Amino acid sequence: MWRATIKGLMARKVRLALTAVSIVVGVAFVAGTFILTDTIGKAFDNLFSNIEKGVAVQVTGIPKFTSSGINSQEAGSAQRVPADLLPTIKQVPGVRNAIGTLSGYAQLIDTKGKAISTGGAPTLGVSWGDDAQLNPLHLVQGTAPSPGAVVVDRHTATSHDLHVGDHVTVLLQGPSMNVTISGIAKFGTADNLAGATLVAFDPVTAQKALNGHGKFDTVDVAAQAGVSPDELKGRIQQVLPAGFQAKTGAETAAKNSSDLKQALSFFNIALLVFAVIALFVGAFIIFNTFQILVSQRTRELGLLRALGASGAQVRVSVFAEAVIVGLIASVVGLGAGFGLALGLRALLGAFGVDLPNTTLQLLPRTIIAAFLVGVGATILSTIVPALRASRIPPVAAMREAQPTTYAGSTRRRIAGLVITVAGIGILLTGLFGGGSNAAAFAGLGAATVFFGVAVLSPLIVRPVTRVLGAPLRRRGVAGKLGRENAMRNPKRTASTAAALMIGLGLVAFVGIFAQSIKASSNQILEQTMKADYIVTSTQFTGFSQDVADRLRKEPAFSVVSEFRQGLFGVKGGSAQLQAVDPATVGQVVHVPLASGSLTALGTGDIAVYKDAATANGWHVGDTVQARFAKTGTVPLRIVGIYTDKRILGSYVVSLSTFEQNFVQQLDIMVLANTAPGTSSTDAKAAAKSVTKQFPNVKVEDQAQFRKSQANQINQLLGLITALLGLAILIAVIGIVNTLALSIYERTREIGLLRAVGMGRRQVRAMIRWESVIIALFGALLGTAIGVFFGWAMVHALKSQGITVLSIPGGQLVIYIVVAALIGVIAALRPARRAAKLDVLQAISYE
Amino acid sequence: MMQESVAVRAAARAVDAVKIYGEGDAAVRALDGITVDFEASRFTAIMGPSGSGKSTLLHCMAGLDRLTEGKVMIGDVDLSSLDEKKLTLLRRDKVGFVFQAYNLVPTLTADENITLPLDIAGHDPDKEWYDTVVDTVGLRDRLKHLPSELSGGQQQRVAAARALVSRPEIVFADEPTGNLDSRASSELLEFLQRAVREFDQTIVMVTHDPNAASRSDRVVFLADGKVVDEMEKPTADGVLDRMKSLGGE
Repeated sequence: MWRATIKGLMARKVRLALTAVSIVVGVAFVAGTFILTDTIGKAFDNLFSNIEKGVAVQVTGIPKFTSSGINSQEAGSAQRVPADLLPTIKQVPGVRNAIGTLSGYAQLIDTKGKAISTGGAPTLGVSWGDDAQLNPLHLVQGTAPSPGAVVVDRHTATSHDLHVGDHVTVLLQGPSMNVTISGIAKFGTADNLAGATLVAFDPVTAQKALNGHGKFDTVDVAAQAGVSPDELKGRIQQVLPAGFQAKTGAETAAKNSSDLKQALSFFNIALLVFAVIALFVGAFIIFNTFQILVSQRTRELGLLRALGASGAQVRVSVFAEAVIVGLIASVVGLGAGFGLALGLRALLGAFGVDLPNTTLQLLPRTIIAAFLVGVGATILSTIVPALRASRIPPVAAMREAQPTTYAGSTRRRIAGLVITVAGIGILLTGLFGGGSNAAAFAGLGAATVFFGVAVLSPLIVRPVTRVLGAPLRRRGVAGKLGRENAMRNPKRTASTAAALMIGLGLVAFVGIFAQSIKASSNQILEQTMKADYIVTSTQFTGFSQDVADRLRKEPAFSVVSEFRQGLFGVKGGSAQLQAVDPATVGQVVHVPLASGSLTALGTGDIAVYKDAATANGWHVGDTVQARFAKTGTVPLRIVGIYTDKRILGSYVVSLSTFEQNFVQQLDIMVLANTAPGTSSTDAKAAAKSVTKQFPNVKVEDQAQFRKSQANQINQLLGLITALLGLAILIAVIGIVNTLALSIYERTREIGLLRAVGMGRRQVRAMIRWESVIIALFGALLGTAIGVFFGWAMVHALKSQGITVLSIPGGQLVIYIVVAALIGVIAALRPARRAAKLDVLQAISYE
Repeated sequence: MMQESVAVRAAARAVDAVKIYGEGDAAVRALDGITVDFEASRFTAIMGPSGSGKSTLLHCMAGLDRLTEGKVMIGDVDLSSLDEKKLTLLRRDKVGFVFQAYNLVPTLTADENITLPLDIAGHDPDKEWYDTVVDTVGLRDRLKHLPSELSGGQQQRVAAARALVSRPEIVFADEPTGNLDSRASSELLEFLQRAVREFDQTIVMVTHDPNAASRSDRVVFLADGKVVDEMEKPTADGVLDRMKSLGGE
């Protein structure tokens, strides 16, 4: 039996290799993601422990409110450490030295006047520690910072052509500074910190530049020889007042590293999602290939049975084939994963995220996951073909294979419906039920819907193909036969099309979702935005209050209203908090109120969105217990309840309240109205003079803003579509496989057609039409599912401001046309092979 | 002989036809210098023991295979002068085929299978001729059926109808009764005979069944790639005797 299995594998190696490609891609994504993540993790562990190497103990304020997850940054920092604690700490026995550190927003403008931005990493300003052991920065050139002179990190210096002695501007939370570069430094062992840019100030300047107000973010302590960090930590903790904590350097390093890893986890999840999609699509192709191979081998397997092999033995032999294919695919995929990890790391580098150098990490977990996923997916998709193979009776060896007439079974109808409905149920539960596993539910639901539709689709192959292929009747006998061939085995056509259905369904869904976001954001602008000009950051960070001050000095603008944002704790959870200027917000944003008013928003007041108020039974005059990282629990009095949250979110306080309770005070958005009688040319000129001084912001009128929003969405859409293109590529392999196997089955038939005068071109056309019909079938099903997903998603996110369902019809038509072209491309090789069939050999019989 | 060749035009002919398979020591001369005419409007059978070259001759005559030496003519056309494309067109327009089995495209109905060569050419069938053919094979009530719904004999009759529907210059049949029982065989041969007698068609049939051969107008005997004998107005017994002397089955 083993010999038969191995020989069988060898005989079908090209087919199986093509099949394995889909598994290879999936495994490569899984392995690559793990390898990259582990490598990055290891790199940061090294980096942070290196940085904190000299730090025995670090003293910080205890955050009074923390939020877990990717938003942890937005909760802001805890209260800072007063400078007068420093002498106290220094006097603790065993302390060799202690320095106060500060960090905050600081963005460089290069010598050409261009703001140096990152791919999303922070632009940091830090205070220079004058103790070499405690300072994570090591000068590689020049001298330490002094008043009027700063040190920058080496990566920023090299990539933006900055040199010692250059004059640059630094944008800060407060007024910007003109400084000279006195030195260039490395951060630990790396040229920079995960893509962040660094500007180091001398301790005195740092207090001013980073809004120290006589306080520090941390106090870093070096121990005397022979004093252990743990011991010192205990001693220091004893002299600290309530609200402050001492941690060892190792603890801090671990915490910093895990925070950073958490911030990168989004990237991780995105990659794994694509891995799952690739595997899911791949599973369909494997299922289909094995199914066809088993049916082609009916006589051979029947013969094995006739010679005495048991059903179980036949089953095992099919499984054994699958396992071998899966194993080989996993090995290749693991190797490809290495390549992928290297490629992604290079890509991150290109975006300015210079990762500290570490060899690629291959943990046992990665290997196990790769094999589990590769072999698992292969075996799972071979269950049905293997069972079928084991049910082939011995007599099949003697029987001529009969073309089966297909009538969809009731069992399929019921099973398909049940699975589809269950999938829709899971999907909607995920989307509308909320909860922490909402995304996982939605994903599982979507996969189940795809599966259910794939089970159902053979039932509609005939009617749909009949309609799709109707125009082909006029394309002569090749078109007619192509259509007939697509219809002759509905199960095969359906499962071949399933791969493309999934790919196109996801692409269509993403397209619809993106279009709906654009339409919704336009609607927000139309319905709620009264401002003439909108100022936003060109990056993910906020920007200096200086920008608003600068705008106020322009006579072209009459009203300038600032917005800030942070995370706070309310009712046992955490929520976004918006800070506005109560005096002017009403002039730039249309806020319909249910009760109270926004202008009444004073220090210690809050305004709440209607639904949040209703859910908590709040009314104007009630008090909300809010929790902040800096100040702990603060009672806020409700002065207004509003009914449109699309710009303001659910909770709004005044800027003064925000200043009291948050450390970081960067504006997230500034809205401005032009002064009466100002021409748009003047306003634009004024806007330009502002952006010239602050290259990190965009000042746009509504039309420009709308366009740049759309551009951002389109960029993301493009990226995701490109990644989903991978699934479509796998689908192409599936179609090629099926066509090649079908042509092999129909050798005699094609020979006959050639014998009675069909030309090679006509044979090629016939295969091509079959392929196009299969592709179109998958594309149409996928698009229908994509529209449904888009509809569900948009409805689920209604409360998040996605209020308009907009279907990009033209785009969907293009996708379907592309799918047809994919059919043409997939048919190229099989069609050529069919046309080249030796007529005589094809029609000869023993 | 002179008189006959003036009166009867050759629909197809082979002149010094040689076909060699393989090379060197392994070379096999499947056709070893065959010269033979197949007259128009006649039903010719080719007989011979296994390996005598009868199928090879048929394939080469029909443009499915090429000669190593010599030439093959269909009407006035020398097949060796045609490229692959022109050969395909010749098969489509000038030649009809009936094979032993797998004659029909399983996805097409009987009706569609019959008109397949015309569909491939993009021609409309000659309605009158089509009706004549269909009625002669007696398949009027089975036209909408798929091949899998027809008996073996019916399938072969559909194949024969397909071979005739484009009014080819010549129809080649390769063991058309090989898979049929005697009744179905007889019906098919009856149809082939009528096609020649009533509709002036030309048919060349390879067979190893003396009964089938006896329904033809003339039998050509092949052995070792050569024409060894001919028989006009054959009888089953006569053919059988001749075959025995050739050492065939």
